[in-house]
Amino acid sequence: MNLAEGVQFVSMGLLIATMLVTALGVVLLENIVYSAFLLGGVFVSIAGLYLLLNADFVATAQVLIYVGAVNVLILFAIMLVNNNRAFAVVEGTKVRNAATAIVCGGIFALLGTMVVTTPWAISSVPASGNASVMKIGLHFFSDFLLPFEVASVLLLMALVGAIVIARREFIPEIFSPKGEDEALMLPERPRDLVGSGKD
Amino acid sequence: MDFATLASQLNAGTILPEGIVIATIMVVLVGDLIVGRARATRWTPYAAIAGLLAAVVALYLQWDSSDTIGFLGAFDGDALSIVFRGIVALSAAGTLLMSMRYVEQSGTALPEFIAILLTATLGGMFLSGANELVMVFIALETLSISSYLLTGYTKRDPRSNEAALKYLLIGASSSAIFLYGSSLLYGLSGGHTKLPEIAAQIAQANLGQSLGLVVALVFAIAGIAFKIAAVPFHQWTPDVYEGSPTPVVAFLSVGSKAAGFALAIRLLVTAFPAVTEEWHFVMTALAILSMVLGNVVALAQTSMKRLLAYSSIGQAGFIMIGLVVGSEAGYASMMFYLIAYLFMNLGAFACVILFALRTGTDQISEYSGLYQKDPLMTLALSVFLLSLGGIPPMVGFFGKLYLFWAGWQAGAYGLVLLGLVTSVISIYYYIRVVKMMVVKEPDEMSDAVKNYPEINWTLPGLRPLQVGMVGALIATSILGILSNPLFLLTNSAVQRTPILQASIAKTAQAKALARLEMPVVVVPDRQG
Repeated sequence: MNLAEGVQFVSMGLLIATMLVTALGVVLLENIVYSAFLLGGVFVSIAGLYLLLNADFVATAQVLIYVGAVNVLILFAIMLVNNNRAFAVVEGTKVRNAATAIVCGGIFALLGTMVVTTPWAISSVPASGNASVMKIGLHFFSDFLLPFEVASVLLLMALVGAIVIARREFIPEIFSPKGEDEALMLPERPRDLVGSGKD
Repeated sequence: MDFATLASQLNAGTILPEGIVIATIMVVLVGDLIVGRARATRWTPYAAIAGLLAAVVALYLQWDSSDTIGFLGAFDGDALSIVFRGIVALSAAGTLLMSMRYVEQSGTALPEFIAILLTATLGGMFLSGANELVMVFIALETLSISSYLLTGYTKRDPRSNEAALKYLLIGASSSAIFLYGSSLLYGLSGGHTKLPEIAAQIAQANLGQSLGLVVALVFAIAGIAFKIAAVPFHQWTPDVYEGSPTPVVAFLSVGSKAAGFALAIRLLVTAFPAVTEEWHFVMTALAILSMVLGNVVALAQTSMKRLLAYSSIGQAGFIMIGLVVGSEAGYASMMFYLIAYLFMNLGAFACVILFALRTGTDQISEYSGLYQKDPLMTLALSVFLLSLGGIPPMVGFFGKLYLFWAGWQAGAYGLVLLGLVTSVISIYYYIRVVKMMVVKEPDEMSDAVKNYPEINWTLPGLRPLQVGMVGALIATSILGILSNPLFLLTNSAVQRTPILQASIAKTAQAKALARLEMPVVVVPDRQG
C-alpha cells in the first residue's frame, strides 16, 4: 500500500465513522435542532464518499442541494414552529422503541445479507473523473431528455402548488345552509365522532 | 451525434398526446394570469376538457403506429400504454366536469385546481408509457406531488389538511422504498436503466434467483401497491378519501389507480421476467387481502366517501385477478374492467358530489327517501352502485364476468371463488344504499332530504355536472349490452403489445410444462 492508497483508506474510514455517528445522532437525540444539524453532517460525509469515488460533480451537487438547500429548509421549518411545549410522556415508549429496534435490525440484517450474497454485476467502465460533467450533460440531452424535461413540469407545478397553499387568501363569505362558515372547506359536514366507530 | 440525427432518432411524435396536455396546462396558467380569476373561472375548465379530449383523439390516431419507442427508449407508446393513457385522460376530463361547481362553492381558485389536476394527469399518462427507471420515477412523482396538492386544496378544513399530510408522509416513504428497489435493479443489471435491458442483463449475468432481485421485486411492489391502494398498503386510503375534495377522490380512485396498474404491468412483465412465479404469488396474496378486507370493512361504513374508498380497495383486488393469471384474456379483462370502472365510479362520485352540494353531507343515512325529491339522481346513483356490485345488465357485470372467466380459464379457481363471494358481500352494501334511497316511506325521510333545495340546474357549473352524470349513466347502462367494441379494443391492445405477447407465451409454456410434470408427481401417491 503506497501513500496515496493509505490516505484514501484513512479518509474513507473517517468519513464512514462520521456518517454512522451522525446518522445515529439524528435518530436517537431528543432535541430536534441537534438532529437537523447532525443530518447536515451525514450529508457532508456522503459528499466526501462521492469525492473518494471520483464523482466530483455529484459531490458538489450533494453539498449544494442537500446541505445548502434541503437541510437549511429543515432548520427553517423547525425554527419557525419552534414552541417549547413539554409533551406528555407516552405510555409504553420503551416497548415501542424496542419493537422499532427489532424491526430495523431485521431489515438491516436482510439488506446486509442481500448485499453480501448477491454477485453484483460491477460495471467495467472506468470512472470518468473530470469529464463527468460533460457526460452527464450529454445524457441529459440524449437518452435522459424526456425525464429531464418532464422534471421541469413537475417543478413548475410544485411551485404553483406551494404558492396556492402558502398564499394569504381573501376569504369569501360562504355559508352552509345551516349558517356555518365553510369558505375553503369541504362542503360535507364533519361526522359526529361520538358513537360512530372509527375503524 | 449531431443535432439533426438526434432529433430524428427521438421519435418525439410518441408523446404528442402528452404534449397537448402540457400545452393545455400552459394555456390555463397563463390565461388565468392575463384575464384574472373571475373571468378565467368561466372558460378554463372548458379549455382543459377540450385539451384532454384532443389528447384522446391524438392517442386514437397513434393506435396503428408500429414505431412506438420514443426518446431513445425512455418512453414506449405501445397499444397497452395507449389504452391506459386514454383511461387516465378521460378520468381527468370527467373529474373536471364534476369539479367546477364543487370548487366554486368551496371558494377556492378553480384555474390552479385545473392546472394541478392536469399535471397529475400528465404524470399518470407518462407513467403508463414509461419504459425506463428514471422516467418511471419522475412520472410517479409528478402524479404523486400533484395528488398531495389536490388533497389539501380546501386548506381551511382540518380534515383536508390531515389528509394531505398523511398522504404526503406515507407517499414519500413509499416513493423512497420504490427508489431503493429501482437502485437495486440498476446495480443488478450493471448500470442499465431501461427496463428491457435490465431484464436482459440480469438473465445474462445469471442473477435470476439472487436475493438482490427478490428484494428489488418486493420493494418495487410495495411502491406500486401504495399507488393502487392494495391491502396491506392501503392505510392512507380511507382518511385521504374522506378528507379530500370529492372530485379529487374521483380522480385518485380512477385515474391514479389506472396509472398504477399500467406501471404494475409494464414493470413486472418487462423487468422481472426471471421471478415471474414470485411476483404472481405476491400479487395473488395482495389480491386476496384486498378483496376480503376492502369488501368486508366497507360493510361497516356510515359515510359515503369512506364506503367508496373501501369499495375501491376491493375493486382493485378484483382487477389484480387479471394481472396474476397472466393470460391474454387476463390482461384484456383488466383493461375492460378499468374502462367499466372509469364510467361507473366517476358517475357514482358525480352523484355523491351533487348530493353534498345540495345538502352538505355525505352520510349514508341522510340519503333515505331521496327518491321522492330527486328521481334522476336516485336512478343514476342506483345504476352506478348496482353496476359496481356487478348486477346485470350493467357494464360492471360484464367486466366482472370477463375477469372471472379469464381467471377460471387460467385455472385460478380459488381466486375466482373468493372473488364471487366478496362480490356478493359488496352487493349487500351497495344495495343497502339503494334501498335507503328508494324504499323508504315519506315519513322516514331524513332531515337533509326533507330540506332538499329546489332542483335548479342553471347555477354556474351545475350543467357540466349534469352532463357528466347523464353521460356516465348512459355509458354504464349501454356499454354492458353493447360491449363488443370494448372487447375488441382490449383484446387487440393485448395482441398489439409485444411485451405482453412475450410474457403470455412464457406463462403458457410454464403451464404446459407443469401439466407434463404433474402425472409424475401424482401417480406414485395414488398407488401408495
